Amino acid sequence: MRALLITSALVFVAPSAFAQTLFLDNATVVDANGAQSQMDIILKDGNIRQRGAEIPAPAGADTVTGAWVTPGLFASMSSLGLTDIGSTGPGNDVSSETSKTNVSERAVDSFNPRSIHIPNVRQSGVTHALVAPRSGGNSIFAGTGAIVSLTGEFDSVLKSDAFVMVDLGETGTIRAGGSRAAAMAQLRAAIYDADGFFKRYANDPTGGDVLSRQDALAFNRATRGDIPMVVRVNRAADIMRLIDIKQTSKSLDIIIVGAAEAWEVADALAKNNIRVIIDPLENLPSAFESVGARLDNVAFLEKAGVDYAIANLSSLGVTKPAALAQHAGNAVVHGLTWSQAFSAISSTPSSWFGVDDSTTVVWDGDPLEITSASISMSIDGESQAMTSRQKALRDRYNPTNPDKRQLKYR
Amino acid sequence: MKNLLPLILPLTALAACQAKEDTASDTDKSEVAFASTYAPQASPDMLLKNAKIIDGVSNEIREGDILISEGRISYVGSGSIPEGIKQIDVDGRFVTPGIIDIHSHLGNYPSPGVQANGDGNEVTSPITSEVFAEHGVWPQDPGFDEALQGGVTTLHILPGSANLFGGRGVTLRNMPSHTVQGMKFPNAPYTLKMACGENPKRVYGSKGGPGSRMGNVAGYRKNWIKAAAYKVKRDKGGDYDRDLQLETLADVLDGKILVQMHCYRADEMIQILDIAKEFDYKVTTFHHAVEAYKIGPELAASDTCAAMWADWGAFKMESFDYINENVPFVHAAGACAMIHSDDPNNVQRLNQEVAKTWADGNRAGLNISKAEAWKWLSTNPAKALGILEETGTLEEGKRADIVIWDGDPFSTYGRPSTVMLDGAILFDRKTGLKPMSDFRLGYSDLSGDLK
Repeated sequence: MRALLITSALVFVAPSAFAQTLFLDNATVVDANGAQSQMDIILKDGNIRQRGAEIPAPAGADTVTGAWVTPGLFASMSSLGLTDIGSTGPGNDVSSETSKTNVSERAVDSFNPRSIHIPNVRQSGVTHALVAPRSGGNSIFAGTGAIVSLTGEFDSVLKSDAFVMVDLGETGTIRAGGSRAAAMAQLRAAIYDADGFFKRYANDPTGGDVLSRQDALAFNRATRGDIPMVVRVNRAADIMRLIDIKQTSKSLDIIIVGAAEAWEVADALAKNNIRVIIDPLENLPSAFESVGARLDNVAFLEKAGVDYAIANLSSLGVTKPAALAQHAGNAVVHGLTWSQAFSAISSTPSSWFGVDDSTTVVWDGDPLEITSASISMSIDGESQAMTSRQKALRDRYNPTNPDKRQLKYR
Repeated sequence: MKNLLPLILPLTALAACQAKEDTASDTDKSEVAFASTYAPQASPDMLLKNAKIIDGVSNEIREGDILISEGRISYVGSGSIPEGIKQIDVDGRFVTPGIIDIHSHLGNYPSPGVQANGDGNEVTSPITSEVFAEHGVWPQDPGFDEALQGGVTTLHILPGSANLFGGRGVTLRNMPSHTVQGMKFPNAPYTLKMACGENPKRVYGSKGGPGSRMGNVAGYRKNWIKAAAYKVKRDKGGDYDRDLQLETLADVLDGKILVQMHCYRADEMIQILDIAKEFDYKVTTFHHAVEAYKIGPELAASDTCAAMWADWGAFKMESFDYINENVPFVHAAGACAMIHSDDPNNVQRLNQEVAKTWADGNRAGLNISKAEAWKWLSTNPAKALGILEETGTLEEGKRADIVIWDGDPFSTYGRPSTVMLDGAILFDRKTGLKPMSDFRLGYSDLSGDLK
């Protein structure tokens, strides 16, 4: 196995990188474009203090060989902070079934930076996330999503109204009452309501066709093009219908999510400047809307010049972003270069949402390699604790734990 | 406690079961129904040369050759090569046993996931031990073909987990076939799916119960009492009314059917082991077992296996205490640990799931070799399904279920290049040989190649 030359104290007691100096001997450094170079690095409290070709190891530093240093990962789709457990009930704010509002429901109002899953997921090198609600009831509009950093602090929301989330495809069909035509009619009418907001609702709060006044106001930011409209859609034909809407409502800034059949219409996506969030592991015809799913979908997008980000969109819940690097690694297996895949989970989605926090993550190997792990992290200069509830459970029950007290006293 | 059911049914015993078919009395009909028609594909004898062998038995990776004769492994190591035999130079690449997924719903929750094909769970009563997973398996699920390309040669298809007693599971060879009988692993024992915890009480809480974990346990015990009475009647011989529900449970008490139990919480698994003692049966494997790491020594002492994910959790309360080191911690306690997918996507990359949890275990201070961790992918699932004498390791006499890898199976970048069942190549990346389900026909014509 690959040698992990970290001191044993780091391995078991896991005090994280707090107040600690790491000497990274011959580290691989990855820049914002995903390009790699080799150098020695001195890292203090999670931040790079010195770098160079041959630096002497400082006294008292823990030496790590074979480390990689990268920007933090950006989870371009998540429900982080919206739910404690996946089941329904209080504690799960991912969607609302019976509310009377839709676009104006802001994920930031549900977002809990103290969620236990934020430090859990942060251990996988993820520093930032898009937080998206899901649609419920009879609206294709899930609400307005946020961009957050994973510091777990109350000031970790970077953009509270970052995008409007919409469900089309089979889910949107159900929401709208039973057909794609109904979902598209709802979308077009909502665009019309929001576009004409000041005229339509000026004298009559019920002036809209499908949106209430507050929802139309919230959607207006997206129809003006100030924030993106993020749309879950998979079928190639559905994507083409969405492109048709974009050609009529030119100011819309559209990002599609899922996009199982995007490879079929990659050129049209590129031509219309529609960005894509894709799961490179989706290859099953899991629904009729994704019969064309294939592992090299993302390679088609790359070739066509589509701007894309990689996410874990599988059915599991809140912890999905923890497998982000694994997803990007598999995209390398299926046709991307390493730097293309890495950018798709870091700089690409960060730039979409204007996130300019400086981030540094140190890994004990190639971050896209399944056996690697992050060992140190800083966000905006602040060292992040490499501890979590998961790791606390691990330490309590670790068979090599020398502490033999009764479990609840460890 | 009586002698435990041997995890591996002796082949002689299985042969005896088969022999009974000739004198089909009423009771024996259950053993001839839906018989396996599985047949290996014809293949020439061959030698895989210069392999880096993970055999699923020893703790070391060996360099050597593997000879396949008549679909079986005839030696592993290095020896004189028989005259005129086909040779494949593996060129120092990894060669491993075929992967076994002990928890799959391929075929019974197939793609596309339309309600019309969702035949994985008889959600009509908490006790449905009379149903058989194989009757809900659609052999045209495209997921089987994709799993094969991930190196999966054997799958265990289970009914869902809404019921206390969910029905019989079936072990399938991942052989492209248009009938489920054509996939059934010859002579593999049946299994019984049972479920703990949240699911039964959630589903039946408003439908007459159980509505709590108390009701769950009462439900298990009531039905084991009935099963024991049925077994007494059956053992006496003579005329009696066959009861499909109790027949399955009585077969568990007779040690013919292996219990595969969905159970997340540590405390609950210990309760279940107590029930098994009370009614003198064996729980072969706890599935999901998110808290198995809390009771590793107890699992080892009771010879109970645990089938787990690498890092799934928090999707329900009973999975809240997930840790990434569950599999290696259970292994380190001396218990029988293994990976499972429960997912049509993850089943395609079970090697990555093992690599992930293996690395996390070693990072936490364990020292497990790759060769040993491989047992989580094939050896231990074979043991827990009662088929270890037939597959799961690269040993003389076993079916030649073999994966040749491009790269390291303990890496994101390593994947199967050739997959064999019974020595026949069913998937080969280089030549493009792969099965395609009926469902994909026509649709596939729309796909282009990336130029």
